[in-house]
Amino acid sequence: MNLIREIWQSIVRRDPLSTDKGKSELVFLNVWLHIHPAKVKKENLRFKYTFYLGFITFFLFVILLTTGIALMCYYRPFPPQAYQDMKDLEFVVYMGPFLRAMHRWAAHGMVVCVFLHMCRVFYTASYKKPRQFNWVVGVLLLLLTLGLSFTGYLLPWDQLAYWAITVGTNIGSYAPIIGGQVREILLGGHTVGEAALLRFYVLHVAILPSALILLTIVHFWRIRKDGGLSRPTWKLKPNQPEALVTIGAPAQVEPLRTVAASKDKTYGLMEVVTGKPIFETIEADEEEDAVFSYPYAFFREAIALMVTVTGIMAISLFFHAPLEQLANPAKTPNPAKAPWYFLGLQELVSHSALLGGVVAPALMVLALLAIPYFDRNPSRRPTDRKWAIWLFTIFVVVNLVLIVIGTFFRGPGWAFVPPWVHVVAGAE
Amino acid sequence: MNRRAFLGWGAAGFVALCSGVAVSLAAVVRYLVPSVFYEPPQSFKIGDPADFPFGPPTFLPDEKIFVFRDREKGFAVASAVCTHLGCTVAYFQSDQRFHCPCHGSVFGPNGTVQHGPAPRALNWFEITQARDGQLLVDKDKVVPPSYRLMV
Repeated sequence: MNLIREIWQSIVRRDPLSTDKGKSELVFLNVWLHIHPAKVKKENLRFKYTFYLGFITFFLFVILLTTGIALMCYYRPFPPQAYQDMKDLEFVVYMGPFLRAMHRWAAHGMVVCVFLHMCRVFYTASYKKPRQFNWVVGVLLLLLTLGLSFTGYLLPWDQLAYWAITVGTNIGSYAPIIGGQVREILLGGHTVGEAALLRFYVLHVAILPSALILLTIVHFWRIRKDGGLSRPTWKLKPNQPEALVTIGAPAQVEPLRTVAASKDKTYGLMEVVTGKPIFETIEADEEEDAVFSYPYAFFREAIALMVTVTGIMAISLFFHAPLEQLANPAKTPNPAKAPWYFLGLQELVSHSALLGGVVAPALMVLALLAIPYFDRNPSRRPTDRKWAIWLFTIFVVVNLVLIVIGTFFRGPGWAFVPPWVHVVAGAE
Repeated sequence: MNRRAFLGWGAAGFVALCSGVAVSLAAVVRYLVPSVFYEPPQSFKIGDPADFPFGPPTFLPDEKIFVFRDREKGFAVASAVCTHLGCTVAYFQSDQRFHCPCHGSVFGPNGTVQHGPAPRALNWFEITQARDGQLLVDKDKVVPPSYRLMV
């Protein structure tokens, strides 16, 4: 028994979890958990403030990684074998349809959750100083998520995939000067063919996931370094008069400086340098509001993980991932539609390819990236930022309306057809 | 080594480093541009003139072209690739126009844009008769819509 205890102790190397020291050591002696602080503020854990959307997005990505690696075992990235492998996954491979469905729904869910997470961060003004750069990283993660979805969309090599990618990459070729070359490099040719499938596969399973993982690490690290999870600071009770501290060696006659005491922890630099920490500084007394990460934060994260995984599994039991006929370059389905999250773009492109396909999305991305530097209003209280909230809401609504029109209101020949009108295919 | 020599060598080294990085990046981009395209040739034979009927055009799905044959005017070849986003257009005999299924572009009998977002008219390709009597289409040679081959 002593040996077992010794082995266990050599692995965990912490005091029992019944002690405060043990709870802290669980976090900071563990390489996987030490991204958390040992203690978190109670407001950080409120579901109704963050809806745990960042966690859910991350868990969806974990589902995508695991199911994606599993699917790779039965997939050959060249036509027409790619399509045969899809058929095998649907009809022969044990649990194949379930894995494919999980991968597909988790991917759609990730696009949705990344977007909702961005909305939450905007509406709570969590991109403001000192978190400006982390918003930029977040926008890049949104773009990578869309890129992963788009490259994955081609891999089944069915009609849906083939024409969505044909339309999607042709939109890119409208970019001035470099558009044509970028498309040629992306496709490895002039049309969507074997070379394109192989390149999209490499992007989908190697390049884009690596980039996404690297940026996610930066994103999480910066949350910690920027002052922890976001919380409604404007709701905290006001502080008592500021305590002052004197900086300077005791031997010196004159103190160097007298500054307000910070409530934040500086994790190691406090003995070395003077000056305010770069962390978010809160004008409130909140020491007693902190709780240990174990079990309070970890328990909630585990619940979010289980709800995400069981949710995706439940959806995948009842709804299968679609698979159309083998890709046929000679026959364009009518209407040919891009993936749903690009249908707003396709709707714009149906009016003007250059304005809708290049100028509008480029401006949208630039505007998103510029938000934290352009919005100089220091307040995070919603009543102080009516203009920002209105503008962002218009941006969200316009995007949603365009996607809904493109998805449900466009029929053969991209004619305006309400979803309750039934169009007989081929009748023109 | 004096200060002047140190700065000179330092600047030269910095320029050399930057050039090396730039050349390497250019090489990476060049690597991604295929040197050989394993794609169908742009110039190809489509068969004997007698294979093509008069009246409605013949659609060749693999080449994505329409072959028109008129009793008086002769042969002409139109591209079936929409100039908007590359979908394959369909020819309707009823109104003698080309319709794109993706974004609703409509092209007139000679390929000009009549409706929808397409930025340019459909291409017409050169068609000639090869020595063995077969028709030869060259998609690299775009010709005006009035171009005809009499056989």
